[in-house]
Order: sequence, then C-alpha cells, then structure tokens
Amino acid sequence: MELEKVLQHHFGYTSFRPGQKEVIEQIVKGKDVIALLPTGMGKSLCYQLPGYIFNKPVLIISPLLSLMQDQVDQIKQLKEKRVVALNSFLNATQKKVTIQHLHQYRFIFISPEMLLQPQVQQKLNSMELSLIVVDEAHCISQWGFDFRPDYLRIGEVMDKANRPPILALSATATQKVLGDIESYLKMNEPFTFIHTVDRPNIHMGRVLFQNREEKLDWILEHVLETAGPGIIYTQSRSKTESISERLLQMGISTAAYHGGKDTLDRQFIQQQFIDGSLEWIVATNAFGMGVHKQNVRQIIHESIPSNVANYMQEIGRAGRDGKDALAILLFADGDDEFAKFVGIDDFPNEVHVDLYLEYRRRNESPSTMIQNGEISETAYRVLDYWMHQIHPNEVKHQLLTMKTDKIRAVEEVVNLIRTKSCMREKLVHYFGQNLMEKPSDCCECCGLDYHNIIQKRESFEQDETAVSWKKRLETILLGFS
Amino acid sequence: MIFEQILLQIFHNFNQERTISAPFHLLKGKRSGQTIQDVGIYHLHKFFSILPKLSRPHYDEKLNSLIEEHYLIVHDEGSYELTDSAREFVKDGEKYYFNGWYYRGNEHIFFARLSLIVQSLSHHGAGRMSFTPIQKDDHIQHWVRQFLLINQYKEGNLQKTLLDEIVGSLESSKVEERAKSIVINRLAGFQTAGLTWQQISYQENLSEMDVQLIYISTLHSWITQISNHPEQYLLLNQLAKDIRVVIPLSGSAHQTAELFRKGYLIEEISHIRRLKVSTIEDHIVEIAMNDPDFSIEQFISKEDIKKVMTAVDDYNTRKLKILHEVVPHLSYFQIRLVLARGE
Repeated sequence: MELEKVLQHHFGYTSFRPGQKEVIEQIVKGKDVIALLPTGMGKSLCYQLPGYIFNKPVLIISPLLSLMQDQVDQIKQLKEKRVVALNSFLNATQKKVTIQHLHQYRFIFISPEMLLQPQVQQKLNSMELSLIVVDEAHCISQWGFDFRPDYLRIGEVMDKANRPPILALSATATQKVLGDIESYLKMNEPFTFIHTVDRPNIHMGRVLFQNREEKLDWILEHVLETAGPGIIYTQSRSKTESISERLLQMGISTAAYHGGKDTLDRQFIQQQFIDGSLEWIVATNAFGMGVHKQNVRQIIHESIPSNVANYMQEIGRAGRDGKDALAILLFADGDDEFAKFVGIDDFPNEVHVDLYLEYRRRNESPSTMIQNGEISETAYRVLDYWMHQIHPNEVKHQLLTMKTDKIRAVEEVVNLIRTKSCMREKLVHYFGQNLMEKPSDCCECCGLDYHNIIQKRESFEQDETAVSWKKRLETILLGFS
Repeated sequence: MIFEQILLQIFHNFNQERTISAPFHLLKGKRSGQTIQDVGIYHLHKFFSILPKLSRPHYDEKLNSLIEEHYLIVHDEGSYELTDSAREFVKDGEKYYFNGWYYRGNEHIFFARLSLIVQSLSHHGAGRMSFTPIQKDDHIQHWVRQFLLINQYKEGNLQKTLLDEIVGSLESSKVEERAKSIVINRLAGFQTAGLTWQQISYQENLSEMDVQLIYISTLHSWITQISNHPEQYLLLNQLAKDIRVVIPLSGSAHQTAELFRKGYLIEEISHIRRLKVSTIEDHIVEIAMNDPDFSIEQFISKEDIKKVMTAVDDYNTRKLKILHEVVPHLSYFQIRLVLARGE
C-alpha cells in the first residue's frame, strides 16, 4: 500500500513531514508507537491517516476539552462527518445516543474521565478498534508538564490481550517521562520516534538580579523598548494582575491571565492575543495549551518554572512560524527557594495520609477534606490516586520520594540557569539528546545580542476613540454579511 | 466607590440593629431564615444575592477602608454607626437600580443566552457556521439552538430584528450611556473579541467590582424594561423567560404554603411536618413577605397593625424587642408579620 496515495487522496498533500511516515508505517504493522513531535509538526496526521487505512474506529484520548473540540472541528473541515467527541459537554440523552452509535464513527475523541465510565467501557469492549491514541501523553507522568492523575487509569482500562496498537503522542518528554508513558500504558516494546527537542529559532537569554524587586523595572523597560507579541510567565495570580496593571499604565495593551479569571474573560484574552490587539499577556502557567498563535516573539519568565519540562513547554510557544524568537529567564537569589516552597506547598504529606485514613475509618468520604479546607483539590487528587494503588505506609514513602524529586526538579532548572557553558546544550541533554548544531546568537552563555533577534517596539498610537455601543453592536450583527 | 456606597446603604437600612456581617450574607444571598427575614424587615430586596461570589477577605478589606475613611465607626463590642459624611456619600449610589430579590443571579443566564445568540448570528452573517461557542454550558447551548431554529435564523432577518430590539429597549431603559457600553462590550462576534473586566475597568477608570455592579444593575433594568413591554420586544422577551423568580420561597416554606392554602392551621402544619411551631411561623412570615395577596389580617387586626407601624415610626426602630415592649399584647410573630409587609 502506498501511504503517499492515501495522503494525497484524503489530505491533499504530496509528501510527509519529518517523522510522520516512520510513525504511520509502524502503526500499520500493528506496533505500539511513542512519537515525540513538536507542536505544529502534524502530530494529528499520524492517527488520521491510519483511520482511512483501517476500516475500524480510531479512539483518541485527549485531556483538554477545548483542544478536543478544536481537533473535531479540524477534521470536520476535511469533510469527514464520522467524527465525534465524547465528553462532559454532552447532556444525558446526547451521551446515550452517541455511545449507542459509537462503532459507526471513524474518529472517536474521548476524555479520560469518560473513558472510565462503565457504560462506555461496556460499549468499547463490544466493538473493535483499529488504534488507540493517547494525546498529550506526558500528562500521565508526574514528571511531565501538567500531570493528570486521571490519565494513570487509562492503562488499567486498556490492558487487554487482543487490544489494538497504542500510539502515544507528545511534544516534550524526558527519558523519565518516556519510561512512565511506556510502563503506565503497558505498551509492548514500542517503536519510539523522537524529533529533536531543540528549537534553533528560539534564542535563550538570562538576566541575573540581586533582588527580586529589580525585575519589575527591568520588565517595564524591556517591554517598552522591544516588540512583542509576548508572554510573561509569573508564579502567582496577584502578580499577573499587578504587572499587567503597570504595563497598561504605560500604554501597552496587556492582559492578565490565570485560572481564576471568568470563562468569558479567558476566551476574550485568547482571541485578542491571536488577532493581534493584545501585545503582551502576563500569565500563570494556566495560559498556553490550545492557544495556537504562530508569531509569538518573546517569552519572559519572571519567576522560574518548577521543572525543565515546563520551561521547555512554555518557551516552545514562541516562534511557531519558524522565525527568530527570544526567551529570557529572570533570576534573583532566593528564587529557587521560593519555587521549591511553592512546588511542595501544594503537595500532600504524611498528615494528609493519616487524615484520609481517619475519614475512611469514620465511614466518611475522604474527599470531605477538601470542603473542610484541610487539603487543596490538586493535592487531594494525587493523594486519592495513591491511596487506591498502594498500602498507606507505602503512600507516605512514595509522597516523600516525590517531594524530594520535586525539589530536585527545581534544582535542575537552577542548573540550567547557572550554567556557564551552553544553555541550549544543557536543555537538549536534559531530554536525553545531543545538540548537533548551534545557531548564531545561541544563548546568553554562547553570546546573544537581543537586538539581532527582536525588533524595536514601534509605539503605535492606540485607537482611543471608543466606538459607541450602538455602532459596536451593529458591526457584530450586521458588519460581516 | 459604588460597592462602598451600596455597603453603606445596607448598613444605613439595618439601622445599627444587625451585626457587621449581615450585609455580607445579604449580598451573597444566604438562604437562611434570618437573612431572608431581614430582607423584608429592612427593605433590602434590591441587594439580595447580587454578589454570590463575594469573598469574605474582599468584604473585610472594603469594610476596613470604610472605617479608615471615617464613613463607619465600629465600637469594641461590635456595634457600629454611620458618620454624617457617610449619609451624604450614600445618596450618590442610589441611582443604581437593583432587583436582586427577583433576579437572584438569573440575569447571568439571560446574558449567556444573548451572548451565544449574538455570536452565532454574527458568524452566520459572515458565512462561518463553525466556531467555538463562547458559552460552554449545555443548557445554554441547547436553549440557543432551539431559539435560533424557532426564529428561523436561516432566513437571515434575525440579525436586524434583534439589533433593533436591543437598541430600542436599551434606549428606553433609564440607564447611563456608559452602563450600556459596559454590557455591549461583553459581547463578542465574528473576528470581534469582547473586552475583559480588567480592560473595561481600565477604560472607564472604575474598579473591576464597580464595573461588575454596574453591569448587573444594567441587566436588571434592561430585563425589567423588556418584561414590561413583551409585545414590543418579541425576541428579547423569549430570552427573559424564566429569568425572574416568580414566588421566591425556600423549599420548606413552599410546602408550608401548600398546606396553609389547603386550610390547615399553624399547629396542624407543625404536627404534620414534625417541625416546631416557630419554624412554621418563620415560613408564614416568608410567605407574607413574598406574596402580596396573602392577607396578614387573618393573624392580626387592622387596628393592631396600625399600632405596630406607629411604634416603628415613634421609636425609629425595627428591633423586635423594643417594639414588643411598646405593644406587649402582641406576639413576636404578629409584629414580624407587620414588619414583613412593610408599609
């Protein structure tokens, strides 16, 4: 069978992008595959094309509801009608009907929590699948970006003798995360395709400070002089507000973004950032996944990320158009201590294990701990998972190990910052790869002149004349017909 | 500013007869007997439940700034009083219309429907029927889909009709222009993002809290305007359906109301429902407050009603204990009934 023909017929391309063909060939042979491909490199084609070779449904497990809807929409735009998303957006009747007809679809997107529901499992057991795709597979690992305990249960569900091949997809994963993916998903000697994690067009800067307060002045000056669009990552919600407030006062169109913003606000910010009316976003790490913007020119880290994988993921949002972009990390003494504190602050400890047991003993649901303010929701999810997996004493041990690992993860970031050799080399090594070639203006250590990478900021006059509400409404309703 | 004015106005109505926390519970819309009765006794229907997400730290912070600015004096034992400058300040805030008691946060459902309809029609006009819906709630999406089908959006006239209705109804609402802007700025459409609270607050030079209060107040006036002229605003009137709470009774009071209507006496209801007589009396007070047709004269004579009202005026208080001393022949229950009814 000629894969190129299928590609041309269904997708209109004449050739594959790097990695796609290798991955698809293995899947067609029935092998499990782990593929690490950077965002924007056509990951989804790796499972869409096999969907037209096999005449059985492809099941895609995806952690982000917004992402899922995007993917469904994209497939629909290719004139494929047999695609469905099974997630909590469906009401009871819709859900029932969808499950009933599940075998008739070519592509079935599903959220992890939906996958675990008995009626879904029953249906899946009664039908044949051609391929199981685990998207954003790094979420399965505590060491990957954005850990989701729900994901750990996928392995339990998929553990059947005659299961179809599994394709695990991700953009970034370290050796440790790769190991987790393979073992938690119970993959069978998977073929692994790893595209280089290096992004030569992202140039890595670093600025050291005596104390933290100096950072703000540096940011204000830098943002006023250099061109965006850009993202400033910081640790706390209140900091996103205060920094963005200062930038606004200087006439720079900016928005604060964090998990506490209302849903409309979040969508408005994403839309404005994509259409170019916002120059800068000041965000916690809640901002990013599922935001497709090609021309982000700068990423500034006001506080250090909690591990190298997060750092990679966050700077990776710059320069998707392939043009030069700049990522600058700001570091002051004491930042690492603070990051460690934040990292373990929201993590369950021995006391929580005892409390959990106490609730169980009293025949109360341990989740009451959340309502009683004894534990955060995130910490509870981690605790609850392990309490179901291993003996309580082992849980204590496990949590302690994980805590030590978290502290080590922060130290790895600090090593990257403190390095006197090449930051890029260090970063690539961290993912178990070797750097082949250094671009010019590689990083702060190799020599980097910001002016070669980014433009001066043109202070464009913002259109201050606010449109009247009547005019605005008229444009929205009648302006595009 | 507006938030502070509202707070002071509530304190003013409470007439120093409630704790410093009472306004917090009122704004959040706490469903407790005490808060609900206070709404009637102190005429605070406007503000009930207008800020369901208000946090205690935020409330305390505002309270402290009122004290610092000498609007409010709090005494050691927990009582408080308003200063003269507070009384001046309060008058400014009175121009904002609220009807929290009847809308109870449902104004957000109205706006969610509107915003998804506007987004859909905008995309439809642009020939793009696939877009990411801005409202994620199932019920809202389902409702809007039905609305669009029933009103035959495919014919392409809906955009214009809706525009005319929105402009017409907003123009006849007694609301300042900037308030209308705030609401319309929260709408989005094809290639048009809405403005965030932060952006509006920056643009209008108001705190985010005040922007949101103006937004809620505008929705309340607007929906009232629409509901008062259903024949003029055929489309918007559909959006306003079920937004107003008809008889806002708590579940338990509702059951009592049913039994009472069937002719059972308070003691009998207490027996049937296995609840204390005093609880059933609470329910009756709640019913009296909510149902204008419910006659309180089955419990207290016209003459006695007058006596209570005179006592309220003479002693400038709504405190039960004091009133009871003035009219000792009446029960607390009877006095509360009169207070609940007001005028």
